[in-house]
Amino acid sequence: MTRIRGAQASGCANDVHAHANQPPPRLRRSAGALAKAEACALLVALSLTLAGVVVSAQQRPNFTGTWKYVSSTPPNYPGSNGWGVPSPTVVVTQTGTELTIESGQFGAASMKVVYKLDGTDTVWDGTSSSQSGSTAVVKWRTKASWDGNRLVLYTWNTALNQMRDIMSLSGGQLTIVRATEQPGPSTNATLTYTKGS
Amino acid sequence: MHRLRLSLFAFLLAGLGFELLPSAASMQQSRVDPAKGGVGDITGPYEVPDPKWPEWAHPYPKPGYIWGSQGGVFAESPNRIYLANRGELKLPDRVPPNFPGNWGFFNQQAATQPIANMVNCIVVVDGNGKLIEAWNQWDKLFEWGRGPHQVYISPYDPERLVWVVDDMRHVIYKFTHDGKRLVQTLGVLDEFGDNDDLTRFRRPTMIDWLPDGTFFVADGYGNTRVVKFNKDGKPLMKWGTRGTGPGQFNTPHGIAVGGSPPRVFVSDRGNRRIQVFDVNGNFLEEWPGIAPHSMMMSADEHVWAVDSISDRIVKFDLSGHAEYSFGQFGTRPGYTWAMHQISADQDGNLFIAEVFGGRTQKYRPKPGADPTQLVRGRSLMPMAGGTR
Repeated sequence: MTRIRGAQASGCANDVHAHANQPPPRLRRSAGALAKAEACALLVALSLTLAGVVVSAQQRPNFTGTWKYVSSTPPNYPGSNGWGVPSPTVVVTQTGTELTIESGQFGAASMKVVYKLDGTDTVWDGTSSSQSGSTAVVKWRTKASWDGNRLVLYTWNTALNQMRDIMSLSGGQLTIVRATEQPGPSTNATLTYTKGS
Repeated sequence: MHRLRLSLFAFLLAGLGFELLPSAASMQQSRVDPAKGGVGDITGPYEVPDPKWPEWAHPYPKPGYIWGSQGGVFAESPNRIYLANRGELKLPDRVPPNFPGNWGFFNQQAATQPIANMVNCIVVVDGNGKLIEAWNQWDKLFEWGRGPHQVYISPYDPERLVWVVDDMRHVIYKFTHDGKRLVQTLGVLDEFGDNDDLTRFRRPTMIDWLPDGTFFVADGYGNTRVVKFNKDGKPLMKWGTRGTGPGQFNTPHGIAVGGSPPRVFVSDRGNRRIQVFDVNGNFLEEWPGIAPHSMMMSADEHVWAVDSISDRIVKFDLSGHAEYSFGQFGTRPGYTWAMHQISADQDGNLFIAEVFGGRTQKYRPKPGADPTQLVRGRSLMPMAGGTR
């Protein structure tokens, strides 16, 4: 109600037109005022929603930085056959449109992987290597989506490696809730990183 | 060397298998009822009918390629059999002259190595293995995964929609009977959810139905639960957590529904047992000592389980008595390597898809076979508008 009064006060509810065959003036005014109030309420609600979206976007964390591995739960999480292994260092670069991760978590060698922040896929051809040393040229694909202040990252390749990382920032630490899938056993872990150089 | 190791392993398992079922039963004191059959009973009451095997249902890959892992098989009728193939594998440049035509010959699991080309993933063949339909229009669905995990038609569905589970892409597809239309996708493609997520699966494995269309999904490799859906695919409930206790799972890989009142039989593969629940997920009992890849409710209300450890097919009554078993690990005709789905047609033929052997074999009842030892497929509802 306060918002509606505020809208009326700002000039939204001034103009009530009179027409033939209309109800008595008091009722007409009442109906017109109600319609105006509804329109203004809608306008205000829309403005507030848009403002909320902007604020929400502004509040989204920026994961940019060089992150040093601290610990995992469960302890000494090994990843899965060379996939999803916690990298000692993860370098993240985030712009308004994409996030890039450079890390050893995608296989035996360090690799740069891009995630578009508009939710669309990024697909490319690359190698997939394991700790056992075998490599193959495969297709890779990534996807990112926001879940509040958490960023959900998916990484897939056609060598049947899959990883879901849910990233969040708190107290200067980067937390990655990691889940991996391969034809073998699934893995789950929470990884903690701290800012380093 | 690898072959020798496998052979030794199989021999030891076979030896164990001779005792496995009775000892499993002996853990349930009241159920001691040693299963008939045993080591050497390789094909049980069946024979492999086609002397040209493995030409049965194998003419499709292009030259230089061979079918890879066979995830599933469903015999709708003696002349309409759905095969779920996990893509085709490139053969080595030089193939030995005695190569029989299935990847298992190389003593290499056909499931994941090498990377398969996802073509001819769902095909329909007649009783002679002759191609009737190739659903190549859907091959692209499997490109980022490892192909279809299993294939089914609900016995209670007059439309005979065809369900395909894709574990690695975390979805279940429902196609029209002719494969022309994808009717429904359950789960979110490529996204995996955790145990409490009713929108996403995490590598689902198998389905079975109640007569009213309610269905249960074993989920699966990644999660440790069963999800119950209504006939329209709306999730109703879930049960299960990770662990070894009653109602807990480690790789629920198979599921079968039947009995009166109906019960849900879940293959808790990683815990080497079958767990039994009512339709609301209340734990009833467990049958230890078997780790099935897959299970099937037969027309005569028995649970047929294909054991991932012993490579044997075991017939249980609904109280958990192991009544009969047969089968043996191997790559020669009639032997199996990782049976992943079984299905029987109305003529008594049995079809077995092997994920590691890389083939689907057809078994025909031997003349005079004991009918109690035959796998009897459940009758399907008459198809609306007549069969194709």
